[in-house]
Amino acid sequence: MEFKTSGEIQAIEPVRDGLTFAHQGICTHMGGEIWLDLGGRKHKATAVKVGNIWWVHVLGHTLQYELIEPGAVGADDDGGLTAPMPGKILEVMVSVGQSVKSGDALMVMEAMKMEHKIVAGFDGTVESLFFNPGDQVEQGTELISITKSVI
Amino acid sequence: MLKRTLVANRGEIACRILRACKEAGIEGIAVYAANDADTLFTEIADLSVQLVGDGLGETYLNQQQIIDIALANNCDSIHPGFGFLSERADFAQAVMNAGMIWVGPSPAAITKMGDKMTARISMKAAGVPVIPGVEVDGGLEEVLAVAPSVGYPLLLKATAGGGGKGMRAVHAADDLESEAKAAMREALNAFGDDRIYVERLLTGSRHIEIQVLADKFGRTIHLGERECSIQRRHQKVFEESPSVALDSELREAMGEAACSAAMAVNYEGAGTVEFLVTPKGEFFFLEMNTRIQVEHPVTEMVTGVDLVREQLRIAGGEPMSCGPLSMRGHSIEVRLYAEDPSNNFLPAIGQLKRFIAPSGPGVRLDTGVREGDFVTPNYDPMLAKLIVWAPSREEALQRMGRALDEFVILGCTTNVRFLRELCDHPDVVDGWTTTDMIDRLWPDGWTPNLSVMVADAGLLIASACESTNHGKAIATLSSSLEIPSPFSQLSRRYP
Repeated sequence: MEFKTSGEIQAIEPVRDGLTFAHQGICTHMGGEIWLDLGGRKHKATAVKVGNIWWVHVLGHTLQYELIEPGAVGADDDGGLTAPMPGKILEVMVSVGQSVKSGDALMVMEAMKMEHKIVAGFDGTVESLFFNPGDQVEQGTELISITKSVI
Repeated sequence: MLKRTLVANRGEIACRILRACKEAGIEGIAVYAANDADTLFTEIADLSVQLVGDGLGETYLNQQQIIDIALANNCDSIHPGFGFLSERADFAQAVMNAGMIWVGPSPAAITKMGDKMTARISMKAAGVPVIPGVEVDGGLEEVLAVAPSVGYPLLLKATAGGGGKGMRAVHAADDLESEAKAAMREALNAFGDDRIYVERLLTGSRHIEIQVLADKFGRTIHLGERECSIQRRHQKVFEESPSVALDSELREAMGEAACSAAMAVNYEGAGTVEFLVTPKGEFFFLEMNTRIQVEHPVTEMVTGVDLVREQLRIAGGEPMSCGPLSMRGHSIEVRLYAEDPSNNFLPAIGQLKRFIAPSGPGVRLDTGVREGDFVTPNYDPMLAKLIVWAPSREEALQRMGRALDEFVILGCTTNVRFLRELCDHPDVVDGWTTTDMIDRLWPDGWTPNLSVMVADAGLLIASACESTNHGKAIATLSSSLEIPSPFSQLSRRYP
């Protein structure tokens, strides 16, 4: 079984015995509650699935595991930069055709009354801009597309 | 005494005030925007009235509509909470003009303290020390002109500001123009006023504030300090009382300065005087907040005074009820935000699929949400305040750590883990908390300290949950197997 967590893909095939699962010396008992067994010390865990993501609370940590459906094609980063929150575009600092360096500020948007800079994650050339200052954008909307420089 | 109070606020603070009203035998009326229908505070209120319109301007900031609702429902008073209209002198005046009681200080006191520049000038006159800086009457050119004389690093602040909005630290002359533009734009959006002023940035200093209470009988007292140094983006996340930086001598000196500040504007009700305290032990007036504050519970825990109840009492024309104070033990508050601390504290949204709050001795939760509620981008992303009290600071940190470990919030990213790690960070344990602490400790951003064991356990649980269809499987199991048919008990007889 494969999950994406903190940007990484991790695979796991635990040993199953009824409702008990074991892996790397750690054991978990599934039932109405989730009990983790760490060599005789027990800890209660809580988990819930939202969409395709398992949210797990264990040992004071909250972790997210996105289930990767068998056969699914991984989405690759093609240079699109998306809005991290719903909000308003305040300023566009670049124009189409302009070359940008990793770390350059591309846009400023306002979300929840705070300003956020949209920053280039790599060197490249601005291919298209999808919004103008004053436009409202939804979370996850592609704001700008950049063609990666070929080294 | 007040009889019927309208609470012109929402969420956590509306719940806090409505509960205090209930305890005081005052009827509490809530007003709510359509997107707040069925939230917790509308349930706690004795009567909830929906505000017509969209957006803050037409709802929670709509003075006329709120006053009309209060009058139509025979309210004798309005409590503004914090944020929203709480520091609007024109609203306080309008409430009084409509024949109702404003639970807060006079419009004149709000005006004098509300404009940061005017406050600086009047505090200087009252002999309260202020931060070295230059008051400018706005305008980008003027800001650029005076900056060199203040020196770097400097801080740009919105004249009408608060809450970290319109506030920018500038470390080099090259950044001044762009930061000044951003600060003015933020200030204009947040306060409708783009004036800013320039102040020396005192690095390595602490943000310590003094709670004051004043009644109509000439009594003005201070209730000790709150240390609010741990901030991200100039917004507080971790507050405590008492502060490790104050001895009884400095506490009394600051307490006296705070009372002078309050008396200089004939203050009435609960208020907070904020100071910056340098490593050398000098203190400077920052601003006075003319309202109840987010972090008021830590003062309540160590003094035993119910500040909101005192506000209601003072507004109703009674003397404050507390006698001589003695501070006991240590209290800490953390602010739980729907935000991603590992991604520059960016606000997050989502449904609170699980929301299991900690409990036990010395643990208090002030919140306006419950399991199942949606966190939307419509309002401030603060979900809850978790407050602990313990006999000593060490035990308070341990108790907060335990409580945060117990806190389960699933479905929306929060800063719980970040707060948890603060509780046993050596700098926090040693009390070396300064306003620049988060940037100092995590200059490249914070990432959770995740042990291999926790990572393994999480992955194992996720796979076990997926294999057993956790959650869904349980529902079927319990409904088909565990609940006995009620008919099987029909013939049962009890002796």
